[in-house]
Amino acid sequence: MPAPQQRRLIFAHIDEPGYTRDLACYRKHGGYEVMKRAFARPPAELIDEVKKSGLRGRGGAGFSCGLKWTLVDRKSGKPIYLIVNADESEPGTFKDRYILHQDPHQLLEGMMITCWANNVQQAYIYIRGEMPHGARILETAIAEARAANLCGPNILGTNYSCEIYVHRGAGAYICGEETGLIESLEGKRPYPRIKPPYFPAVLGLYQCPTIVNNVETLCHVKHIADMGGDAYAQIGTPNNTGTRLLCVSGHVRRPGYYEFEVGKITMGQLLNEVCGGPLPGRTFKAVIPGGSSAKVLRFGEKFKIKQKDGSVVELGVEDLPMDFDTLAAAGTMGGSGGVIVMDDSTDMVAALANINAFYAHESCGQCTPCREGSLWMKKISSRMVHGEARPEDGELIRTVADQIAGRTICAFGEACSWPTQSFVAKFGEEFKGYASAPKSTGSMPLV
Amino acid sequence: MLQVTINGQSHAFAEGLTINEALHSLGTEVPTLCHDDRLEPYGSCRLCSVEVTGLGGLVTACNTQLREGMEILTHSPAVQGVRKTLLGLLAKNYPAEAAAQFPDKQFHRYLREYGVPAGGSRTAPPPAVPFMQDASHPYIHVDMAQCVTCYRCVRICEEVQGQFVWKAWHRGDQTRILPVRGTTLLDGGCVSCGACVDTCPSGALEDITVLARGLPTEWTKTICSYCGTGCEVNVGTRNGAITTIRPSLDGPSNHGHACVKGRYSFDYVYAKDRITSPMIRRDGSWQKVGWPEVNQFIADRLLETAKQHGPDSIGLLSSARGTNEENYVAQKFARVVLGTNNIDCCARVCHSPTAAAMKMTLGTGAATNTLDDIELAKTILVCGANPTDGHPVTGARLKQAARKGAHLIIVDPRHIELCDYATLHLQLHAGTNVVLFNALGAAILDEGLADEEFIRTRLTEFAEYRDFIREFLPEKVASVCGVPAGKIREAARLYATAKPSLSVHGLGMTEHIQGTEGIMALVNLALLTGNIGKPGTGINPLRGQNNVQGAPHMGCEPKLLAGYVPLTENRPRFEAAWRVPIPTHPGLNMIDMMDAAAAGKLKILWSIGYDIVMTNPNMHATRRAMEQLDLVIVQDLFLNETAKEFGDVFLPAASSFEKDGTFMNGERRLQRVRRAALPQGEARSDWEIVCDLAKLMGRGEHFAYESAEQIWDEVRSLWPEGAGISYARMDKLGGLQWPCFDENDPGTTVMHATEFTHGKTTPLRRIDYVAPPVLLSKEFPFLLTTGRNLYQYNAATQTARTPNDRLHATDCLQLAPVDARRLGLREGELVRLRSEQGSADLPVQLSDHVKPGEVYTTFHSTRVFLNQITTSHRDRYTKTPEYKVTAVRIEKLAPVAAK
Repeated sequence: MPAPQQRRLIFAHIDEPGYTRDLACYRKHGGYEVMKRAFARPPAELIDEVKKSGLRGRGGAGFSCGLKWTLVDRKSGKPIYLIVNADESEPGTFKDRYILHQDPHQLLEGMMITCWANNVQQAYIYIRGEMPHGARILETAIAEARAANLCGPNILGTNYSCEIYVHRGAGAYICGEETGLIESLEGKRPYPRIKPPYFPAVLGLYQCPTIVNNVETLCHVKHIADMGGDAYAQIGTPNNTGTRLLCVSGHVRRPGYYEFEVGKITMGQLLNEVCGGPLPGRTFKAVIPGGSSAKVLRFGEKFKIKQKDGSVVELGVEDLPMDFDTLAAAGTMGGSGGVIVMDDSTDMVAALANINAFYAHESCGQCTPCREGSLWMKKISSRMVHGEARPEDGELIRTVADQIAGRTICAFGEACSWPTQSFVAKFGEEFKGYASAPKSTGSMPLV
Repeated sequence: MLQVTINGQSHAFAEGLTINEALHSLGTEVPTLCHDDRLEPYGSCRLCSVEVTGLGGLVTACNTQLREGMEILTHSPAVQGVRKTLLGLLAKNYPAEAAAQFPDKQFHRYLREYGVPAGGSRTAPPPAVPFMQDASHPYIHVDMAQCVTCYRCVRICEEVQGQFVWKAWHRGDQTRILPVRGTTLLDGGCVSCGACVDTCPSGALEDITVLARGLPTEWTKTICSYCGTGCEVNVGTRNGAITTIRPSLDGPSNHGHACVKGRYSFDYVYAKDRITSPMIRRDGSWQKVGWPEVNQFIADRLLETAKQHGPDSIGLLSSARGTNEENYVAQKFARVVLGTNNIDCCARVCHSPTAAAMKMTLGTGAATNTLDDIELAKTILVCGANPTDGHPVTGARLKQAARKGAHLIIVDPRHIELCDYATLHLQLHAGTNVVLFNALGAAILDEGLADEEFIRTRLTEFAEYRDFIREFLPEKVASVCGVPAGKIREAARLYATAKPSLSVHGLGMTEHIQGTEGIMALVNLALLTGNIGKPGTGINPLRGQNNVQGAPHMGCEPKLLAGYVPLTENRPRFEAAWRVPIPTHPGLNMIDMMDAAAAGKLKILWSIGYDIVMTNPNMHATRRAMEQLDLVIVQDLFLNETAKEFGDVFLPAASSFEKDGTFMNGERRLQRVRRAALPQGEARSDWEIVCDLAKLMGRGEHFAYESAEQIWDEVRSLWPEGAGISYARMDKLGGLQWPCFDENDPGTTVMHATEFTHGKTTPLRRIDYVAPPVLLSKEFPFLLTTGRNLYQYNAATQTARTPNDRLHATDCLQLAPVDARRLGLREGELVRLRSEQGSADLPVQLSDHVKPGEVYTTFHSTRVFLNQITTSHRDRYTKTPEYKVTAVRIEKLAPVAAK
């Protein structure tokens, strides 16, 4: 079956020749008109539209956006804050950065609609420290919008005021975790908070109810407000509605970012047709479908996927539709949309060593299993690729991972142990091979 | 109630508990490294993970709320496996020697219980990011190679002490706990409270005394003998000697916290110059004698003098550092054995004005509320007190209250540490308290913020007060007190509307010629706004000494008997109980005694635990008076300045660690003092010394006590408000607050709820302002105020004999930089401070914390002898000296030529 066409909502204009990131260009393409219409509607109606749309968060967890907004404590008498999580740091993920760099006003418009819908008067964009250029672009865009009275005090004569602030991170992956982000925004060490009681919807920024949404998610809000929740829900597949951005990297001929209706394209179509297939003379070996913490898929493995009607079908990696639920059923996740492709030239032990080095470097150090465990995993995989593998190392590293997942304060514990668990489970023979015949490092760079 | 199954057994629990708290109540322990009851649950070590069916696996007990129907397994194979793995991760590089040295440390015990060996060694090469090692602090040893990264030190420094000294640096496995700045603890601004050491579960932070002397083998629960906060502490001893002191977790006034004094400053007990045998000075030199000889000597002299000059030629000074029992026995000795009311104690030089003013206005001369009310108050007035130095545990609680949103209003001529946390700082001119408090009262009425209901039902003379106070409207008096009118009004609004409002005050309120009146003006504010008789309100003096509330209360007052009752009305009751007549005329207070001595009327002075020469103001006048005395008996641990210069007889007393009794803290709480170590040498408890003399002087039947408890039982038989406070109850309940009328009475946390002690209503007093007689002049252009430093305590008799001396070596003159520039003075330069009374030499310290034209210093150092220059002015009611205002000039000393 041929691959479907891209369906571009977020990226509708982004690659058009002559499309620039300034306000004038954005408005020429209909920018802020949706916001104007939204401001004429009661906020509750907009929340309903988002609920009806079935929008799921595009940051990684795929949590229902409408439900997230519903959980916000609106009776506390405290202000409600919106935070845009622009701390895009998951290895293999580069979609939000593209939006920020090329189309910042789309994000601002989505934010303003969200703020109106949730009666937010102060919104923050927490942008990754390594994106100074993006921060400057945002500052410019906010200044433009403010000058045009599209944010700031008394927006367009509605008597509604909302300020947007940009906050730059300082280079820590953990700040992508929403409570770590909130701590960082408050000026503290980004140690994730314990939940309960610190659910952002109730006790978030400055102990006030707070909505934390991903950049892409908020852009979708604009399109939902535009077309209506019901119409948006028609895009994609049931429970996996709308479009999503996929960033493909690694061993394919045409890596890059693509936007498809969720669940309408399979992994095989994406890699073989859209991305042009493997490099000459190579074959696909493995793929990580949603950022480096998602569990790896081995080409050749089969998944028994339960269908809506209750029947079970057996699918290979190529047959998996790229939606939240199927990927979860296949034991991995759609995550952040970062698709990392590895072909038969890849040394899986070295690849894991690379990933483990990243997580050991990024563990915040707050809780024991992650702080000590991520380091231990790194040490083991690192000594393996340095020719010092021990026979028990494959099993040992997996045991360590098993003791981390589910035992930490935040989801970093899972994020750092899933790669090890899946790499060892699916490529066990390579790990065994290392123990019996030590190799040198290979070509994979080690952090 | 929640029905919960724990390890197969069904239990019922109240709602709102965490799993950990529920387990705790059953006595079931799950291991934890990051949890401490004093801290917010943190959930980082994960050792307390338990299995909860239905919650999808493991949850941490410390921060998970108990829910109906939970089925909890605390030691299932799954959780035990997790714990073992976690301990293994932590122990991989942990020095095995440390685990072997102190096997009972929390972390070491877990390693043993779970069979996990420590895999590291002290000789292992240091990691790329090195661990902090610091042996430069006099009390705290740091070896972060033993750190298990539980963050308890970081959190306790923040959440309990409020000092923010420790900080987590770097991240992941390279996380290091280091001072927030600099390389040592002291660089980081450590105030040496020892909380981080107390909470550390491994050996990363340890008391230097423990490393040097070993862990204690016995613990004795007792009460700290420094300030009036009354912290309950556990004294650890090994082979009969103190090795460490730890705060008691259930201490009612400290809740598991302590300060550098209570926690560490105990080595004076073993000081080389401690005197442990009785001595008589003959021909100018001290000679050791036995107890029988010294007792006979004193008895003869007392009897002879009483016979020759009358009993009123003898004066007895007791100590607010001693127990209630000792003070009671001392005053009974004066009245029963000597036949004089010449008995006083060191409350005279501190809070006598508070006691007098509150007695007059409210009926009871003691704190109306409890320290726990600090956490309930929305506005807290801190007047003339520097709690973070003088009452550090209370100071820490005030900081925490401010951090949690309470408004602090600081009334102080200086910028004290709490000003950094305060909503308002009313920086008044020293000595203008009455003006400022009247102005606050005027503003409250002017803006219609008074509590009408309270005024109608509980106060009298309101109309007169209202008319009188108009003269003190902020705009009229701002220039007199030096606080802008707008600020006064802002403070008045906060105090009157952001309720409940509580007030704490210190000696900046009392040590003035209008000390007593200043307190009355302060009490008026509480009355006007109804901030009295309710939780989170009241007037709460921060008493400066461990038992300064108790000593005068036991009758060490020339006009009062035990229970703080007037001699005139209560004499018959005491005569009946003691079966001897008591002299009818009031005795001399300490200040009067000095005057009488100077006039040759007082012949013998017996000073128990009181360094008169060092602490009285205007030292030259004190010296002239002391020189006139025929006999000076000093009862103390050391040859203090009084003994050195004027002592004829020295009686070696036991320290607070070496005796039994009770202290009464600043919140009216009686708590048990227990003997943790035997007295050194021949030293004895003060009450034993006094009782022996009484026996020798023929009054044995009145002093036939065999224990402190017997003395106490006599006290409470004579003091109805304390009748219910028995040793047995104090041992069981850990301290009780009077009034407590019988043994079923839980005691009183909040006084004056429905009526005052002396009646349903009380009048608003109209307090006029009297300017201090000290006037600045060309000759004496600076105003000097004095106070305490964190590390030294009053005359420093104890603290100067501990390593605290390294932390605060000398008194310094704090001077505003502009003044220093004008006088051409540099930091550290020695100057001569001169007043009408005398002079003292001390180094200059430039500080923004004093206003230009005002200077400040502490009075601890015997090298400086600051009280050579303080004045002879006294409170108009209680004769408490005005230490807080002296006009001085600063003289540059010619540089000493280098040799």
